[in-house]
Amino acid sequence: MSKNPFVLRAIGLLAVLALVAAACGPAPDEEEEDEAGAPAEDAAFTWAVTGADGPTMEAVADLWNEENPDQQVNLTLLPPEADDQRTQLFNDQITGAGEFDVLGLDVIWTGEFAEAGFIESLEDMRDSVEGVSIPGAIESAQHEGELYALPYSTNFGFLYYRTDLVDEPPETWEELYDIVVEVQEEEDIDGYVGQGDSYEGFVVNYLEFLWSDGGEVFDDAATESLLLDGDHAEKAITFMQDAFEEGVFAGDFNTMVEDDARLAFQAGDAIFMRNWPYAYPLALGEDDEESEVADDFDIAPLPAFEGAPVDTVSTLGGLNNAVSTLSENQEVAREFVEWAATDEGPQEILAEMQPPPTMASIYENYEDIVPEDQLPVYEVLNEIREDARARPPVPGYNSFSLAVQENLHSVYADGADPGPALEAVNEAAEEALVEDPEEAIEEEADPDEDE
Amino acid sequence: MSGSTPGGAPGSATESGAPAPQVTERPAPQQEGISERALARIFITPSFVVMAAIALFPILYAAYESLFDFTFFTREDFVGLANYVDQLTSPRFWTAVFVTIAFTVVSVTLEFIVGMIFALIMNAAFRGRNVTRAVILLPWVIPTVIAGQKWRYLFEQRPGYINEWLGLGAIDWLGSGASMFWAVVIADWWKTSPFVALLLLAGLQTIPQETYEAAKVDGATWWQRFRNVTLPLLAPSIVVALLFRSVDALRIFDLADVMTNARLETLSVLAQRSIVRDPQPDVANALAVLTFILIMGIGLLFISLMGRDVVGDPEEGS
Repeated sequence: MSKNPFVLRAIGLLAVLALVAAACGPAPDEEEEDEAGAPAEDAAFTWAVTGADGPTMEAVADLWNEENPDQQVNLTLLPPEADDQRTQLFNDQITGAGEFDVLGLDVIWTGEFAEAGFIESLEDMRDSVEGVSIPGAIESAQHEGELYALPYSTNFGFLYYRTDLVDEPPETWEELYDIVVEVQEEEDIDGYVGQGDSYEGFVVNYLEFLWSDGGEVFDDAATESLLLDGDHAEKAITFMQDAFEEGVFAGDFNTMVEDDARLAFQAGDAIFMRNWPYAYPLALGEDDEESEVADDFDIAPLPAFEGAPVDTVSTLGGLNNAVSTLSENQEVAREFVEWAATDEGPQEILAEMQPPPTMASIYENYEDIVPEDQLPVYEVLNEIREDARARPPVPGYNSFSLAVQENLHSVYADGADPGPALEAVNEAAEEALVEDPEEAIEEEADPDEDE
Repeated sequence: MSGSTPGGAPGSATESGAPAPQVTERPAPQQEGISERALARIFITPSFVVMAAIALFPILYAAYESLFDFTFFTREDFVGLANYVDQLTSPRFWTAVFVTIAFTVVSVTLEFIVGMIFALIMNAAFRGRNVTRAVILLPWVIPTVIAGQKWRYLFEQRPGYINEWLGLGAIDWLGSGASMFWAVVIADWWKTSPFVALLLLAGLQTIPQETYEAAKVDGATWWQRFRNVTLPLLAPSIVVALLFRSVDALRIFDLADVMTNARLETLSVLAQRSIVRDPQPDVANALAVLTFILIMGIGLLFISLMGRDVVGDPEEGS
């Protein structure tokens, strides 16, 4: 058998591959040491949070461990994708495992987790964050007026624009549209890039168009859907439709996520970009990034529609920390959550790295805290943070968001009729408010039968 | 179960029992106690139990679960077939069924044609045949998710390889509409034609060379040899290839998910979305069962229409 030269060669190749694999992988000991700040054996509690900004989270956990030698935190980095994080946090609850004491929750999950009884009410800690954290972040940590998490990090969207092509950043969407058309007469360049793929980022972008025309999804108390009040919802989506059709939005806007937009802008292929602060140092060409526009771009607040009651709107991103109801270490978990929200230590780490912090005082004294190259970002953030809006953290936010993605993406990207699509989103918004969406569907079903 | 005839013992005793006379006290294994057929069933039982536990149980459990109304948080009432009624009356479901079947018909047809050509090439004797075989099989070896990402990159407008190669300008392949369908079909075509070729090649190699020589002697042209020798003798392999591919294509998920971010909504995409993103496990279970019924039905239809003589035993059941 082994006389077959092919088999011999295959075995030889496997042996070489095995050697290469062994040489490339770190020795087991080194691997252990690489896991920063995780002396898992004697940890007092576990903090489960997104791995998207892993180094920042590690720095924060390290700081806590330095300050609290008796109550070490065990950092568990979840996958960077939001859906995967949510699944892992869910599983921890549904199976009753309860391995996670502190849950780093995306701002849109508060209602869902609170409604399901996964997280403790933190209403009694309201005094420690009121006036300390920025209002939008506190808003996103509430469910039916009750605080279920404390703010930790945030995120704002703003406008990146090309200073070599545009003199002044546009103040209205109509102005932006005209500038793109004008520049495109001279240059072969894409207009506006942003987050247009059918995912949560598209919902963020759509809400910015909706809100910047004065539209609303819900009333203040989140008791009814206001989506179809006035023509804001339709105006927002038809603006996107027109802009996409006319090439004001880049031709691949409908498949873009954050990094696609950033790479296009960085390559000098776009006049305008809507993106988060993370793109700023990269577009400057830091960290060995290649950037064609390092010297030719600036940032400004996002425009609003002409005649709207607001000048600018940004949808807030970010994380809040909540305490799991299954946690057996609630006391220290609550202590950690409060520390992460209100102590300058962790909040300054966020300011120095990414994503931006929620502590208002940091925005006031940012000049002393933030690295020099980030100063312009904080100038813009200061301009827009009062007008930044949290996505409504209602229990059914997830199904509302899916309805936006499934119905409105094809409206702007494929010319579908906005009317029925918006009706469907409105229905999903109504259901998102009800405790048991199934009941709502049954109630809805009756009037249908009369028709 | 049926007892064997008592008179049959002597013949078997000489076979197994001759060296030890006492053995006659015990029944001879072949003839008394249980029949050969029953014995076979006993031997098969453990593997059947294992198969049932890992294959049948999940299917039946999903079917059972689909009769309830529940989320991950709450387990609620028995609702009978309500989840099915919801799906069967939903236009979204029927769109997904249509997309899935259209994808299957188109992609399997294309893959069959190219797979056949590949198989004929790989079967021909020429210099460099081994290299050719390896090259043809390469796409099939690449994991589908990775192939999907590669094709996504090629189809994307930025940098826009495919649009540039074909001189198409700025075609929006992956964003919306019918072009998404064709992009995924093309990727699947590329990815799976080698698999069809492999199945057909195995069949081609069972055809004796003499039949071709005889046909040649009779003056048959290449086309006549293909039409009247290759195709009929290859029929069993063709049926197997088409069956495998159809059943596989009806489950299409990975390419649609990776290339179009699940905008191309096939049945499996719909089911996956229901369980992961919504999450509505009851709906997802109903969808999974409906998908199973569809695939099972089409598979059986296939066997009964085209392959009765090649796939199943024609005597069976008669």
